[in-house]
Amino acid sequence: MGMAKRSIGDWLADVFHLRDIPFMGVPSYMFSIEYWLGGVASAALIWQALTGLLMLLYYQPSDAYNSTMAIIHSIPFGAILSSSHLYGAYVMILAVYIHGLHVYFKGAYKRPRQFQWVLGVLMFTMVMITSFVGYSMTGDVLGVDAVDVGKGILAGLHLSALTPIFFGNGTDLDLFTRLLGWHVILAALIALLFALHFYLAEQNGFMPDLKEAKYKAPALLDKSDQRIKPWWPRNFVFMLGIIAMTWGVILTIPSILAIPQVLDKIPILFSPFPGPSPTSPQASLVPAYPPWFFLFMYKMADMPFPLAVDVSMGGLIPVVVLLIVPFVDRSEDLHPLDRPFLTALFITGLTWLVELSIWGAGQPGIPVKPLWLLLVIVPPFVISFAGIYALHFVWRGVKQRIINKAVSNSKPLPLNNKLLTAMGALVTAMAVIIMLLSFTLNPVTQAPFIGLSWGSLMLLFAADVFIYFNYELR
Amino acid sequence: MGDVNQSRRTFLKSLAIIAGASMVVGLLRGLEVLVPPSVGLTSFPTLQLVDENGNPIKASDVPVNGQKMAMFNYPLSNEPNYLLNLGNDSNQPVEIPATTVTIPATGKTYEFPGGVGPNKSIVAYSAICEHLGCTYPELTFYPPGVKALTFNGPMDKVIHCSCHGSTYDPYRGAAVVTGPTTKPLPTVQLKWDPSTDYLYAVTMIGPTIYGHTDDLSGGSPISGNSTSVAMLSNPALG
Ligand code: HEM
Ligand code: FES
Repeated sequence: MGMAKRSIGDWLADVFHLRDIPFMGVPSYMFSIEYWLGGVASAALIWQALTGLLMLLYYQPSDAYNSTMAIIHSIPFGAILSSSHLYGAYVMILAVYIHGLHVYFKGAYKRPRQFQWVLGVLMFTMVMITSFVGYSMTGDVLGVDAVDVGKGILAGLHLSALTPIFFGNGTDLDLFTRLLGWHVILAALIALLFALHFYLAEQNGFMPDLKEAKYKAPALLDKSDQRIKPWWPRNFVFMLGIIAMTWGVILTIPSILAIPQVLDKIPILFSPFPGPSPTSPQASLVPAYPPWFFLFMYKMADMPFPLAVDVSMGGLIPVVVLLIVPFVDRSEDLHPLDRPFLTALFITGLTWLVELSIWGAGQPGIPVKPLWLLLVIVPPFVISFAGIYALHFVWRGVKQRIINKAVSNSKPLPLNNKLLTAMGALVTAMAVIIMLLSFTLNPVTQAPFIGLSWGSLMLLFAADVFIYFNYELR
Repeated sequence: MGDVNQSRRTFLKSLAIIAGASMVVGLLRGLEVLVPPSVGLTSFPTLQLVDENGNPIKASDVPVNGQKMAMFNYPLSNEPNYLLNLGNDSNQPVEIPATTVTIPATGKTYEFPGGVGPNKSIVAYSAICEHLGCTYPELTFYPPGVKALTFNGPMDKVIHCSCHGSTYDPYRGAAVVTGPTTKPLPTVQLKWDPSTDYLYAVTMIGPTIYGHTDDLSGGSPISGNSTSVAMLSNPALG
């Protein structure tokens, strides 16, 4: 064998046996963000584990608030650590929502992927609870309010017996020790469920293009499809791009928000840092907001119903409905307009979620009159059911024609080579400059700018990866 | 299909690798997040010696010849020291003269200021063995007649560490008597106020306290203007 020039990639592949990794390869059309939404959520999960474990070196349950503030103010890069852990959670929650909706609309919860869906719903609830616990761990006035509300909800459901299990025996030390314990336990459970979810995804294969599947379950990729190339190096490189992009967003957003001139203008719901201590005079000025992703629940508690009804309607029933979706809808229809009832229900639910959240932010804790309630919940219900059923009938009329049209292997317009190369060179030059500049910044006093540099470096790297990929895919 | 040419491909790949390398290099300094901020003091505080109830300790209260081991933290809360009122074989306090102490490890010397109090018999030394850091109860004072088994045979009136056998002479600035230690015990410089009979810790003299990069860092400062003295039983007395 001649000593042909081997690239770094080939060398890596040999040393780590990357070509033997049993992950599936995919056809080129799947190198598009909609097939990688779960990947974004996974990248966020990894970021959470990394930053969370680092904070574990400093967080002290015996002095929760002060140790959190010490992470932010006195640990080198600590402000980046803490604010990106918070925004990592936010990005993860958003990614999970989008991933879940995408799965719903593609009908990907159907045979043979029912259990991926169930695991996904379980992870979704656990991520929400884990974030709630993490949010309380800072011991700021919002966190302490959240714990009080949590206890109140348990009491309202006649489940006070569970209070000590989740929140301890009443001492602050036990409270924060337990919150930390639960936070890590839940995170570990999420990682475990994630492993299962990922394994099933690999075995079942990515959900193919709906048209190719003729809008019928079970939609499977034909493993002998000529367009499928091995996992290494294409999927690996694209995955690096997805991870860098996700981490870049997770670092960039809170770092911008943390710049002092910006920080003053950020509503407390989106502040990258904890609120005031519950014993400080500013504490009384802060509405008892939950984290933004629970605002809908907060508004539910203002409804003219008993608490048990609020919690069932706002939390338990939606979760149960989500869990059983694949077992209720066993039809083979993949197109959302072939499933008008569920689709209308999802859109209604989503609208309610958004409405209640905005309402909760705008009128925190203000009791809801029955008339207002009707005005808010009836119109979305009527509009989406009427609209979706109307579209359903239109779709039924044209469906056959669309299916019979040959699958056009439409590709995004390839960018001009010179332009692509110039963009790549610009991106790389910016990366080198930002990297050099970042070394002039002080890790304690200028943390937001370092976070911004790091976030940009990741985004630029991701951009270069995608540029290269765009070329490589031709 | 686009026109994929090998050199453009390599160029784009190199660009991505350079951007990736910049990212890694830029992020590497983030490892500094692992370094905890240092805690400590910027100068030696003067702390009054008080008992566990906060009442001032009088020089005449300090037990003679280590009948009890009087222990206090100075200058940081994780730097314990022994307060000794040294006496002769009949337990009468004796004057501890100033002397020059040698640090065998470096060959350097320093001036030990001698005892304080009405009889100039009171001294204080770090209670952390300079060999490998053993402390109370392994490191203790052997009163007259209570012999420690040292590498020089049985000895009394010494501070001896039962971990690995280091022996120090408290009557001569806690100088090294036997190894394995190669450094004397650091001295706490005391001040005695003759009008009130109160005692104060003022500064440290001699080698750095074991386990610290300097005496003033690596622990939390003691709050307030006093440090409390605990009276522990002397393990040498069985
Ligand atoms: C193994 C994984 C994880 C570990 C070890 C971990 C650890 C921690 C620690 C020690 C804190 C307290 C620091 C502080 O008070 O700011 C914290 C806060 C937090 N965690 Fe995690 N965490 C993990 C995963 C997650 C996940 C998966 C989420 C949700 C998606 C999450 C959401 C949060 C939130 C929202 C906070 C409050 C952060 C803040 O306000 O700055 N964590 N976590
Ligand atoms: S620690 Fe005291 S002799 Fe080794």
